[in-house]
Amino acid sequence: MKKLVVILLTLGMVLSMFACAAPAATTEEPAPATEATEAPAAEATEAPADAAPMYIPVMAKGFQHQFWQAVKTGAEAAAKDLGVEIYFDGPASETEIDAQVNMVKNELAKNPKAIALAALSTEAVTEILEECAEKGIPVIGFDSGVPDDKTGAVKATASTNNENAAAIAAVKFGENADLVAKMQAATPENPVVIGCLSQDAVSASVTGRTTGFVNKMKEIAETYQPGKVSVEGHTKWEAKVDGAAIIIRVEVSATTEATSLQTSANSLLATKGIAAIFCSNEGAVVGLLAATADGEDLADGGKYADLVVAGFDAGTAQKNAIRNGWFYGSVTQDPYQIGYKAVELAVKAANGEAVADVDTGAQWYNAENIDNPDIALLVYD
Amino acid sequence: MESTTKKKLNLQALLAPLALVILYVFFSIFGNNFFSADMLKNILESSYYIGFMAFGVTFVIITGGIDLSIGTVMMCSALVGAFVFKEHQWPLALALLLTVGVGTAFGFINGLLVAKLKLPPFIATLGTMMMSQGIGSIITKVQSQTWPTATAEIGGWFKKLFIRNTFFLGDTKISGFPIGALWLVAFFIIAALLLHKTKFGRYTFAIGSNEEASRLSGIDVSKWKVLIYTVCGLFAGLGGIFYAAAYTTITPGTGNGQELNAIAGVVIGGTSMSGGAGTMVGTLIGVFIMSVLKNGLSSCGLQAPWQTFFTGAVVIGAVLLDIQRTKAANRVKKG
Repeated sequence: MKKLVVILLTLGMVLSMFACAAPAATTEEPAPATEATEAPAAEATEAPADAAPMYIPVMAKGFQHQFWQAVKTGAEAAAKDLGVEIYFDGPASETEIDAQVNMVKNELAKNPKAIALAALSTEAVTEILEECAEKGIPVIGFDSGVPDDKTGAVKATASTNNENAAAIAAVKFGENADLVAKMQAATPENPVVIGCLSQDAVSASVTGRTTGFVNKMKEIAETYQPGKVSVEGHTKWEAKVDGAAIIIRVEVSATTEATSLQTSANSLLATKGIAAIFCSNEGAVVGLLAATADGEDLADGGKYADLVVAGFDAGTAQKNAIRNGWFYGSVTQDPYQIGYKAVELAVKAANGEAVADVDTGAQWYNAENIDNPDIALLVYD
Repeated sequence: MESTTKKKLNLQALLAPLALVILYVFFSIFGNNFFSADMLKNILESSYYIGFMAFGVTFVIITGGIDLSIGTVMMCSALVGAFVFKEHQWPLALALLLTVGVGTAFGFINGLLVAKLKLPPFIATLGTMMMSQGIGSIITKVQSQTWPTATAEIGGWFKKLFIRNTFFLGDTKISGFPIGALWLVAFFIIAALLLHKTKFGRYTFAIGSNEEASRLSGIDVSKWKVLIYTVCGLFAGLGGIFYAAAYTTITPGTGNGQELNAIAGVVIGGTSMSGGAGTMVGTLIGVFIMSVLKNGLSSCGLQAPWQTFFTGAVVIGAVLLDIQRTKAANRVKKG
């Protein structure tokens, strides 16, 4: 309601500028017109009385992705449950570091009791964090949080543990009867290859997922072919074994561009003995779909009909692939919980309670449960 | 008739500062803790870099030209400066000089393209806009670059010198003083003197009013144009330093659209896009009107899209006003 008043009044003020400019004949002085709009404004502010619930800004890395909307839904639910007021905002794109810095600075000027923050760049907000530490305003990280904070302002982070989340995909691979049969039948002459497609070996989330998947997959594969599991591909994860019957191949693309991921996906698909592929983020999924004629090669009767594919995150293309049964399933983070826990932690920290990092968990979804209400909330388009 | 028109004219010249004050009062009433030292600092700090770009481009716009490259040139300068500082361990002072140097070089190139090779300014600077964006990405290999933070061991003075400083004045501790404002004011004075009190400034107006007449009266138009664009580039380089001081992390491939913020500030400040008219103080006020609007709306809990929307509305309003002003001025001349 207050927002509407502000919008209307600002619009009024701006329009009065036009009014001054418009008719050449008017000799009316422009100043009173603007002041006239000003007067009722002053009275209107008195109206919304301050009940003063605790105010917590929740500063995201973005706003328009459905992922962030789910975070927002969770944050709002927590605000309702805990009786606090939140303000959720984020820059239009993840490159707009300056916009986020301005946003957080402006929120800090409102003297909040705590701030929830998913920083685009820790360096860019260092001074702000120092100010928070100085003023005793606790900062709660969420999603990717505020990595490498040295100021001590960040009290806890609510985020997905990427290693644990990606391990879910490996466990599900271990539950797939066809894949298990292949792993059991594998020999050093005819090795089975399980691929992991990642867009980079730099970002914390993607490397965490790759590590989590590779380690868990290796553990599971070892139960079928003890001592004959080799990890190959990118040097970061390499653990080569001679005479391997199961090869876990980590393919990292040259850049994060879709075309580059498509090239990497093609090279995985061309590998002899390829039986399964895990794509560690939405970008990797898009690359794989591009390499398989938008997924049609994965359908029954297609070129790669027997390939077991798992994805991560969501997005329209990935959801479509899952609905059609082209994908075995995908892992999704739980953005709703990320938002909910962030606000919950912030309230606790503001009340002076001790807080610790929270793993907000991850969910496995496939063609069967994708439309369940609790999953549908998490998988964005 | 003449006296009333004249009166109106003066009032209109006062409208921009008046609008600034009214906006500030308005948001002080409506915003959440808008009327506070913290918020004032935020308003200042988010306008330094736009201010520098706007000072520079005011010269170019008064000549009737345009420089679309300043936003990406600013980012390119800041990227290159951070790159040589971090990756090649240049001393920070030298890296800062290079930052300004890169901006100046791009300005010089713009000047040559426009004045000597007779390219339309819109096209020439559109080209350098893309080139500077590309170069910034190529040099840094598309990696984000970071400038030293206030607590960094090497170069911690960077932020203390350009953005905020805490010091003692006698026995009183001045905490988080927005020192960038002093720089902005200093360069504003320099730019204003340059525009209104020197031959450089007079020729800038002369070229903008009538380029052909200027040439016929013996002004070496193309030489002065090269200089004017170079000055504009220099200010973009300075903007790069203050952008870096305010935001620390520079992402390659950004900067598009920042030039429009600066140009909008110039236009709101009453500089005519057709050249020949404008003031430096107008530009300064224009930049602050946008900054107050942006921070004020966010203080009222309105997100970025509203800020963009209203900035757009203000730009249109300001230009309408400018048209009226020109008409009125013409009437005065005839009368």
